[in-house]
Amino acid sequence: MDMNEIKEIFFQECEEQLAELESGLLRLNDGDRDPETVNAVFRAVHSIKGGAGAFGLDDLVSFAHVFETTLDCVRSNKLEPTQEVLKVMLKSADVLADLTNVARDGGSVDQARSAQLIRELEALAKGEAPPAAATAEAPAPRAAAAPKAAPAPKPAAVAAVAAPNDQGFVPVAFSFDDFGGEEEAVIEHPAYEVVFKPKSELYTKGNEAALLLRDLSRLGEMSIHCNMDSLPPLDQMDPEAAYFSWKVSIKTDKGEDAVRSVFEFAEWDCELDVLAVETGEGAEAIGGDLPMQPVPFDLSALDEEPHAPLGVVEEEEQIAAAQEAVAAAQTASNVVQMAGSASRAAAADKGAAAAAAAAQNNAQQASSAAAPTIRVDLDRVDRLINLVGELVINQAMLSQSVIENDSNGVSSINMGLEELQQLTREIQDSVMAIRAQPVKPVFQRMARTVREIADITGKSVRLVTEGENTEVDKTVIDKLAEPLTHMIRNAVDHGLEMPEKRLAAGKSAEGTVKLTAKHRSGRIVIELSDDGAGINREKVRQKAIDNDLIAADANLSDEEIDNLIFHAGFSTADKVSDLSGRGVGMDVVKRSIQALGGRINISSKPGQGSVFTMSLPLTLAVLDGMVVTVAGQTLVVPLTAIVETLQPDAAAIHSFGATQRLISIRNSFCPLVDVGRILNFRATQANPVEGVALLVESEGGGQRALMVDAIQGQRQVVIKSLEANYTHVPGIAAATILGDGRVALILDVDAVVSASRGQPLHLETSLAAAG
Amino acid sequence: MATRKAAPKSLSLAPILDLNEANALHSKLMGLRGNNLVIDASAVERVGALCVQVLMAGAKSWEEDKHAFAFSKVSDAFTKTTQLIGVNIDHLMAKEI
Repeated sequence: MDMNEIKEIFFQECEEQLAELESGLLRLNDGDRDPETVNAVFRAVHSIKGGAGAFGLDDLVSFAHVFETTLDCVRSNKLEPTQEVLKVMLKSADVLADLTNVARDGGSVDQARSAQLIRELEALAKGEAPPAAATAEAPAPRAAAAPKAAPAPKPAAVAAVAAPNDQGFVPVAFSFDDFGGEEEAVIEHPAYEVVFKPKSELYTKGNEAALLLRDLSRLGEMSIHCNMDSLPPLDQMDPEAAYFSWKVSIKTDKGEDAVRSVFEFAEWDCELDVLAVETGEGAEAIGGDLPMQPVPFDLSALDEEPHAPLGVVEEEEQIAAAQEAVAAAQTASNVVQMAGSASRAAAADKGAAAAAAAAQNNAQQASSAAAPTIRVDLDRVDRLINLVGELVINQAMLSQSVIENDSNGVSSINMGLEELQQLTREIQDSVMAIRAQPVKPVFQRMARTVREIADITGKSVRLVTEGENTEVDKTVIDKLAEPLTHMIRNAVDHGLEMPEKRLAAGKSAEGTVKLTAKHRSGRIVIELSDDGAGINREKVRQKAIDNDLIAADANLSDEEIDNLIFHAGFSTADKVSDLSGRGVGMDVVKRSIQALGGRINISSKPGQGSVFTMSLPLTLAVLDGMVVTVAGQTLVVPLTAIVETLQPDAAAIHSFGATQRLISIRNSFCPLVDVGRILNFRATQANPVEGVALLVESEGGGQRALMVDAIQGQRQVVIKSLEANYTHVPGIAAATILGDGRVALILDVDAVVSASRGQPLHLETSLAAAG
Repeated sequence: MATRKAAPKSLSLAPILDLNEANALHSKLMGLRGNNLVIDASAVERVGALCVQVLMAGAKSWEEDKHAFAFSKVSDAFTKTTQLIGVNIDHLMAKEI
């Protein structure tokens, strides 16, 4: 494993920690006062700081240090986590995320913002009101929190010495000058009793008790006693479990913080007590009746560090240090890294059992008992999905061949084929499930967007999320963030009114934006609603007339007026700002959603707010479809769009106008759409009585009856991108390969329905399917 | 420590005795149960607490079995680490087996 790989793991860890940090802060903001929530938030920042130090990411370490100090005041009940305090912390979490991104991808952060937040965090830690913060009420610290001393650095974890910054914090640089032992004069230094009981996790995360004790010994004169009472006989022991514990007496002038900081990265994986004792009592006080031996160490044989000038560290050493730090930065998240060690794999069961036993006794462990997970490169999963796609196609081909060549219908072969089909489907579902992820990370990112836009606009906004554990294919999740961000901006900037206007309208000053996700009919439905003023239809209509989008005398329904905001370049903003008014936004949203094979609808009530509903496929790799024939062509109609199929009766068909026809279904009329005619497969209209009608739900929510010649069957098909392999075809979403090897086109139902209303097909975009 | 007049088995410890080696060392010792044992720790460059635990558990079991368990040679690093973590192996150093 080289340095870049280790760094990549660190940044992956950072993403998890940042998500944990944000969700913890939001829980605190909602009134959660569980100490474990505070601990989880503190741990997240602490872990990022630890890992960042190993890679010499000084800006990240410095900011995290200040943040952590303030969090520590909350953790120790010196600072009350009020709304104002949490507002600063949520902004700080944003800056921490920015610093992490810059460390990974380059670029720069807003230094002024970062500096301002550092000042605010420091003020909070001192029990003062944040400087220059427009706070409604000052934070209510329970007691002035004295600024903590900078923790002593962790050895062997940095390649260069950083200069002290404004906070007087030097990230993780270590001096080896005192290796030869300290000049122990007659000066009596303060003594500390240290009881150190490692848990098994300390070792499995790459820490080493011996190194921690070595670092401790460097602080001063040390006496140590190893307690082996819990060590079982050889045949009953787990080689990777922790049995030894230590009682140490140390005399040092470096202070208690320095003693504690030795265990900084092992804090969560051990029981640690540090007590200051009267000078001269240390050893006796600790040892009691235990034999204590002074340890006048010559540590030279234990040094892994080369005796080189400080700042010059061999890459191998640096990697080892970074690995150690990254391991230390991992929380007890049950993430099992693929270590590739046969011996460790063999002991996994025993190790897990020991770890589980230890975890039960650990009040500071992360509370979630999530199932163990492994990280797998997405490319590998994608390759697997592609292979399974090919398997599905081949299985279909095989079934087709057997059917065509076996007129006798040998039952054993047919049964075998059915089993194979079922098995293939199960494999495909399982593989797809690997790539399914909850939408939570995307929703969490939106919280930040809301905060930032609320700040810019001066509005008071609360984001409520529901259904964040709803799962959807990662490829869909990755493409959700952009349209959602646009919509959130739109909702806060355009949808919600200013606080005074809301109060005048009898609403609360704080506006609410609600983001929900749920599964419905094999799709994911994401709803974004606000309780703002709703769409100003008069303004939209006038703007559309001014822009020559509609005629001045056009008679549009409310729904049609609402949908005008999706036109490119359409904006009702009175002035151009950083947020809106450039006419870029909702048209991009619609295109993005359609490119995902999704639909978006608006429902708005003046004075009450708007609801944007997005319906998206759960995956871009496969879909369940109805295979139909139209004018000799085979098409696939997505099953999710079909409400029912029916055989039209001549008496149920009604014509009006030159070409329009309606079908009567249970005492209501539904427009009949000839798919073959719309797609130019034939020049004349087909006779509906000779075909089959598919009743579909269109984008606007209305129903249409799509007329096809015949239904061949229903099957799951593997989506292949038409754009990637050929070119865009109007009215067609994607393509697939059938069992007989032929390419079949997948119908874009909404585009066909829109075309039936008179909108040309070429304006519609298509599904950029994952092929 | 009781001893028996049987040819002692020998075990040479690996240079790096870390987390990854703890299981292997445990397996090797388990395979040597029932024999007098002489351990050569002269090649040890780095030893962690887990492997020291395994060795001490071995010493405990050998004592219960009434077999000899001794270190014939130890490296400087091995000695210093055991000292550092407060584990006394003086009584396990071979004098005459």
